[in-house]
This record gives sequence, structure tokens and C-alpha cells, in this order.
Amino acid sequence: MGFLWTGTWILVLVLQSSPIQAFPKPGGSQDKPLHNSELSAERPLNEQIAEAEADKIKKTYPPENKPGESNYSFVDNLNLLKAITEKEKIEKERQSIRSSPDDNKLNVEDVDSTKNRRLIDDYDSTKSGLNHKFQDDPDGLHQLDGTPLTAEDIVQKIATRIYEENDRGVFDKIVSKLLNLGLITESQAHTLEDEVAEVLQKLISKEANTYEEEPNKPISVTESQAGKIPEKVTPMAAIQDGFTNGQNDETVSNTLTLTNGLERRTKIYNEDNFEELQYFPNFYALLKSIDSEKEAKEKETLITIMKTLIDFVKMMVKYGTISPEEGVSYLENLDETIALQTKNKLEKNVTDNKSKLFPAPSEKSHEETDSTKEEAAKMEKEYGALKDSTKADNPRGKTDEPKGKTEAYLEAIRKNIEWLKKHDKKGNKEDYDLSKMRDFINQQADAYVEKGILDKEEADAIKRIYSSL
Amino acid sequence: MAARGGRALLALCGALAACGWLLGAQAQEPGAPAAGMRRRRRLQQEDGISFEYHRYPELREALVSVWLQCTAISRIYTVGRSFEGRELLVIELSDNPGVHEPGEPEFKYIGNMHGNEAVGRELLIFLAQYLCNEYQKGNETIVKLIHNTRIHIMPSLNPDGFEKAASQPGELKDWFVGRSNAQGIDLNRNFPDLDRIVYVNEKEGGPNNHLLKNLKKIVDQNTKLAPETKAVIHWIMDIPFVLSANLHGGDLVANYPYDETRSGSAHEYSSCPDDAIFQSLARAYSAFNPPMSDPNRPPCRKNDDDSSFIDGTTNGAAWYSVPGGMQDFNYLSSNCFEITVELSCEKFPPEETLKSYWEDNKNSLISYLEQIHRGVKGFVRDLQGNPIANATISVEGIDHDVTSAKDGDYWRLLVPGNYKLTASAPGYLAITKKVAVPYSPAVGVDFELESFSERKEVEKEELMEWWKMMSETLNF
Repeated sequence: MGFLWTGTWILVLVLQSSPIQAFPKPGGSQDKPLHNSELSAERPLNEQIAEAEADKIKKTYPPENKPGESNYSFVDNLNLLKAITEKEKIEKERQSIRSSPDDNKLNVEDVDSTKNRRLIDDYDSTKSGLNHKFQDDPDGLHQLDGTPLTAEDIVQKIATRIYEENDRGVFDKIVSKLLNLGLITESQAHTLEDEVAEVLQKLISKEANTYEEEPNKPISVTESQAGKIPEKVTPMAAIQDGFTNGQNDETVSNTLTLTNGLERRTKIYNEDNFEELQYFPNFYALLKSIDSEKEAKEKETLITIMKTLIDFVKMMVKYGTISPEEGVSYLENLDETIALQTKNKLEKNVTDNKSKLFPAPSEKSHEETDSTKEEAAKMEKEYGALKDSTKADNPRGKTDEPKGKTEAYLEAIRKNIEWLKKHDKKGNKEDYDLSKMRDFINQQADAYVEKGILDKEEADAIKRIYSSL
Repeated sequence: MAARGGRALLALCGALAACGWLLGAQAQEPGAPAAGMRRRRRLQQEDGISFEYHRYPELREALVSVWLQCTAISRIYTVGRSFEGRELLVIELSDNPGVHEPGEPEFKYIGNMHGNEAVGRELLIFLAQYLCNEYQKGNETIVKLIHNTRIHIMPSLNPDGFEKAASQPGELKDWFVGRSNAQGIDLNRNFPDLDRIVYVNEKEGGPNNHLLKNLKKIVDQNTKLAPETKAVIHWIMDIPFVLSANLHGGDLVANYPYDETRSGSAHEYSSCPDDAIFQSLARAYSAFNPPMSDPNRPPCRKNDDDSSFIDGTTNGAAWYSVPGGMQDFNYLSSNCFEITVELSCEKFPPEETLKSYWEDNKNSLISYLEQIHRGVKGFVRDLQGNPIANATISVEGIDHDVTSAKDGDYWRLLVPGNYKLTASAPGYLAITKKVAVPYSPAVGVDFELESFSERKEVEKEELMEWWKMMSETLNF
């Protein structure tokens, strides 16, 4: 009997562990509608994988952290999660033992299942031999009868962990891991964030009085900033205070910012809000220089991009992925480079923008630069498309938009005239040739427009160039 | 993991910042779009040649720029439209663009027939610009070529496929997307399969050239032909092309007829009657392309079978059988000799490599162009000096004839050797001439054909004269 159960358990566990090794493709779950049950069906596996990876970097860690502890390793978070789960499980076990008629079976299962889990641990080469204490069960998030924990439970656990750690980074780390593994979609991640935020708020409101938070980053940072570019100290410090204040606040405001951050991430900017942007004098100057009437769209896009950038940096600082100093210095460098670029642009035609683009901390790896190049190229294309639509808006005959093309054509025509002048040695040919050329070109240009080889505007431009010679 | 995520975010910020500057930079110069910036960048490339991928608008622009720079020797035209309505653009370079000068051979380059095989497309754009530049610089070889040849360059026969392939992000440009036209037709399998007909004719007797009778009707009524295919067929029939090359990607070799095996097996060397000259033509391309002609080059992919490759060339069917291809269609339906050149192991390589592909191929492209001035050429006329169009010129020992064009002019590519050429036309008496052919240039041989009626007249006159003489002698 016991053997049968052991067998089934092995089967169940093997079946459940095989997807781990097969690394499910992201496409599988992304089409499903956002639903709690979907989330709950996936989560246990996710957690298993996460734990399996975490087991690689084993560390003994006490279940409770001292407040202000800055070493938030992923393992720690999960270990705590596991510990929580264990506690809960034990409670549930007690309950089920009291109520369930299958007591003995369950007990036997329990004993047997731990035995089996260790087997699986052995098979899983990614796990190190250390710390069997924390290996407990890969499917620790299963209830005893094998059904997965509901989403609510998971959300509860994560929220509790965040609350205890006072680190939004916990959530961020888990989610980014899951996203990278392609096990949840962006929208699912957002939903999760919402739910966690809600639960967290509840927790806080329950025990707000007993919990106190110290700022994670020392305020001396402000002073170190003072040593830098003096005229920017005030605006930069202001932003930075925003960063540190964000962490100084009680977890109440943190959770608020958490949900706000989520909203802001998905919100589209269409208001002319220069509030934060005034901290970037050069960018502000650039904006002012754009003629609002003609290039409203351009201006909007610029503002949107800048705001998104600032928000990103703020988010990262809040989640603790970068320090406030890094964030501030990045934004400072951003503004400086804008100034530099504007200056360069005015001096000469800029061609090699991409090399000057990244003032950010030098830790950037090669692959990041590549991905940003792609991003830049993508945005360039998008902007190109954007610009094309604005071309239609410009009713005047003057073709502002295809200036680059006209330049190329101009260059070609110039070379042509030069060559013609050189090669027609029959004297007194200059005027003659030009008028002849002009007629010929006019004719050809029209013929080409008819055949679809040239656009009407292009043909007009060419004719104009020739008539001006 | 989180740190990496953070860095990725930083990178994204950097990218957004980049865009901000690009846009901001644009804002300084009112109206100039990002695309315009790219064009400006292009102007600073080598001699007006920008080594970057050209989408359809840029392709058009590049050709227009060449035309504007070299109006005296160039002309742009279109042979038709792709399925999605893009013009199949051709730029023609010759000293008298738009006109077939009698005796001047016609050459064509066609690229990007498979939309995701992008190198050929770009090389042809570079070539057009290069020829224009070099002509204006007085480069003797190029000047001579342009004065004595009519060069047609079609950078892309499948612009729809290219757009599809080029729209794929980053490294995802793959082996298949964008290969066929917008209808999903593989253009290089879409041509009427004349190989099968010629193989039957070889066994049972029948014509050895111009196998597609009642041409225009068949082409226009055939619903299975893609618009691009139809356009090319019309083009081939309208212009008396002599030599051509069809640029592809995915391997590195110069491939010559026949492409389809005689027996129907997967590979088998299937030589055409002009095997000797084709080998020479293919070699003329590959020899100047260092990686292509490198005997120690490993195959493009580990398990590739390149056992049929010799000196960077291969018989098509020996490599693998291709029915309905454009190359064989040229040979069997017209006078044009065409080879297929595979230019790159990667079908759609990164933009940064385009310059080196140009360096590897520019000498080959010119060398292959020069091959058109080989063998024998001349005019077939009647005794009054009027041109005889559609006369047949056959070579003893080669089971493939060519025909004369509208002005009576013909060109017959041959490897060096001694030949007997025969010109014939219906209603005329055939004439055979002996010719010694060097490697190059082409030897001029003209034919003046006597028509039957003229011969009859002459014979009648001779008879009358004999009768007169007889009667005088015999005192009738």
C-alpha cells in the first residue's frame, strides 16, 4: 500500500519536475486570459523552478531579518517564503489530521513524500549538496492533497515577505525572474503587483504601529552630491530627496508608490507637465526651442521619453536595483549630454550619435549596448514613421521633410553638371547645355512620375534645382 | 538576476535617451526626420555608395541619385509591378540609354529574386553607383564597357519578399521568411519548365532553342505565374539579352545550366550543349571572388554537400535539381546565357558586412560583365543589305542555336577554338563560314544571305544566257 502511494508520488513528482527540465516556452501561457486560476495553475511550478535555482546558491539564513538589513539575496527571500509556507503547511496539516479520515494515509504520504523529494533533489544536478535543511520540498507550495495553493495564498505570502523585509525588491526580483523565464506575461505581472500591493496595505494597516522603518540609504548622500556640479545640486538634490524620502516613508507610502508606479508605468503621457523636467535645464531649453505649433508631436514625444526615463530611474532606485547616487548621476549625465549634443548638432551634421549616447555608469556591458542600439534603431524607425505623418500635415509646397533626399539629389546633380561641363569641349556649351539639360530633365522627370519611378514632389524638387542653376 | 534586470532597464533608459537626443537633434534642424539623418550619414560614405540595406524607398532613391548623377549614360525604367504594387525597377547604363544600338550586346543582372537573399540586391545598387562614379572618373575599363554594352541592372525582382524579410527583428532573419513573393510563390520555381521539353527533344528530335512557342499568349493566360515572373518573361522577350546573372544567397558558388537533372534524380551532372562556355563564364565570376574560389573554404554549413563545386563553380543539377528556374528558362526560351551566383553563406547578413561583400564581389561583377564581349558576333543581312531578323545561327558540334535580333545582329558566346558557323533563314540559302575564336574580344562575322527567289532569278538568268549562247551558236 505504502509502495503504491510512494509510486504515485514519484510519478506525480516526476511529472511535475519534467517541465522544469524542459523549460516551457513562453508562448504557451501568454494567450490565456488574465485569471486568478491561471495564475494559480502556473505559480507552483514557477516557484519550484525558482527554488531549484535558488538552491544552487545555498546559504543558511535565519527566517527573520533585522530591519535595515541590506543583503537581500533571492535565496533569502525564497527561504523565508518556504519557512512561511512550512508554518502554514504544518498548521494545515494539523487541521487536516483532525478533520480528515485519511489521517494515516496523509501521514504516511508526508513521510514518504519527503523521502521522494530528496530523491528528486538527487536527480536534479543543479542543486548543491548543501543545506538539506532548506531543501524541504520542491513542491512546498502544494497542499497535502496535491492541489496547488491558490493565488491568494501566494500573494499573501509574497506580501507578508515584502512587509517583513520591507523591500519591494523581493517582489521585483521574483517577478523579473519569472518574466525572464517566460512563465508569466507582463500583464500577469502587473496584476500580481496590484494584488500584492493590496494585501500589503492590509498588513500595514493591521500592524502599522508596531513597525518602524529606518532609511535604507544614509542621508549623507545629499552631501556628497554637493561636491559635484554646483549649479545642479539643488535640482538634483531635490530629486534625490524624493528617492530617499520614498524610502524614508513608512511602508504605507511605499505601497502607495508601488501601486502608483504600476499605474504610471501603464499611463500614457499627454499633459504638458514640466514639473520634474525643470530639473533638467538643458533639456528644458531644448524643449523651449522647439516651435510648439509646428512640431507639437515632436515636443510631446520628447517630453514623454524624458518622463519615462525619469520614472524608470526612480523605479529602479525604489526597488533598490541601483543606488540613488547612481540614479542621480545618470540623470545628471543625461542632461549634460543633451547639452553637448545640442551644441554638436548646431556645429556640424551629427552622424555618429550612437557612440556619444550612453553616459550612464560604465558598468554597462557590451550586450546592453547592442540591445540599446536595437532599441534606438527601433525608435528611429518609429519616429521616421511618425515624421511621415507630420509631412502630410505640412500643406506648404516647401518640402521640409525629405531634406536628406533632396540633398542627395542635389549632390548627384552637381556631379552631373560638373562632368558635363568637363566633357563637352565644343565651346560655348555651358549655357546651351544647361537649357538643353533642363528640358531633357523636365521631360524625363515627368515621364518617371507617370511610370511611378519618381514621386511628384521629387520630380518638382529636381526640376526646381535645375531651373535654379 | 535583479541587478541584471536593473542594468537592462538602464540600457533601455539609455536607448530612450538616445532617441531623445536624436529627436532633439532633429528639433534643431526643423523638419529633418530620423530617416533623413540616415541619408545624410549616407552621403558621407565612400563616393556616394552607402553600405547599408536599402528598403524600397531607399532603393528607388539610390537609383534616382545614380540617374541624376549620370543622366547622359543612364535611364531608369520598370518592367512591371510586384504583387503588392512595387515597381520592378531597372537602371540601364549605356552610352545611348533607352536605345538598342545595332550590334551592341545587352546584359542584365537580377538580384533578390528570393526576398530574404539580400546581398545581391545591395551589391547591384552599389554596382550602379560604382559604374556611374567610375565612368565619370574616366576609368577606361568602365568607359569601354558602357560604350559597348547596354547594361541593365534590376536590384530586386522580389521587393515584396524583401520588405517582409527586412522587417524581421535582429537575428530572426531566417531561412524562409521573405523568400517567396507576396503570394507565397517561389519565383525561382515559377518559370515554365523547359528543361523537360528539351530533354525529350534531345532523344526524339525537335528544336534546341526558343522552346516557348506562342509566347505572349501562354504567359498572359497562365494563372499560375506570379506577376514578377510574367514581368521578367516579357522583359526577356522584348530585349535581346546575351548574357545575364541571377544573384542569390545562402551559399557561395557560381552555378550554371542545366539546373534540372535529366533522369529526375536528386543530383546528377546535367550538362547543356554549351557546357564549355558556361564553365568559363562561371569561372570568370568566381575567380575574382576570393572566398568563392578558395579551394580550402569549408562549406557554409557543416553537413553541406559541396562535392560538386570546382573552382567556385558548379553545374546546377550536380548540386541539386531545380525545376522551373529562371536560369534555364533564359537559355531555353531566348538567346540569353544566364548563370546563378550564390553570394553569401548567410542569406541576410548584418549590415556591417555589406562593405566587405562589395569588396569581394566588385571585381567579379565587372569581370563577368566583360564576358559578353567574347565569341563571335555580327550581322545577318540579305543581299541588299537589309537586316534579316530571326535568322538562325548554328555552330557545328553544339546542339544549341541562337537567333538574330531585329537589326539582324547576333552574338554567339564561345570558348576559344575553331568553329563552323552557319546562318540560315526561311526563304534564304544558308551560308557556312569557318571562324577561329580567341579568348576575347569577339570576332566579327557577317552573313549576306541570298533568298530563294533571288537565286531562282539568278538561275533563270543564267539559263537564259546559256540559251542565248546556244541559239547563237546553233543559229536558231
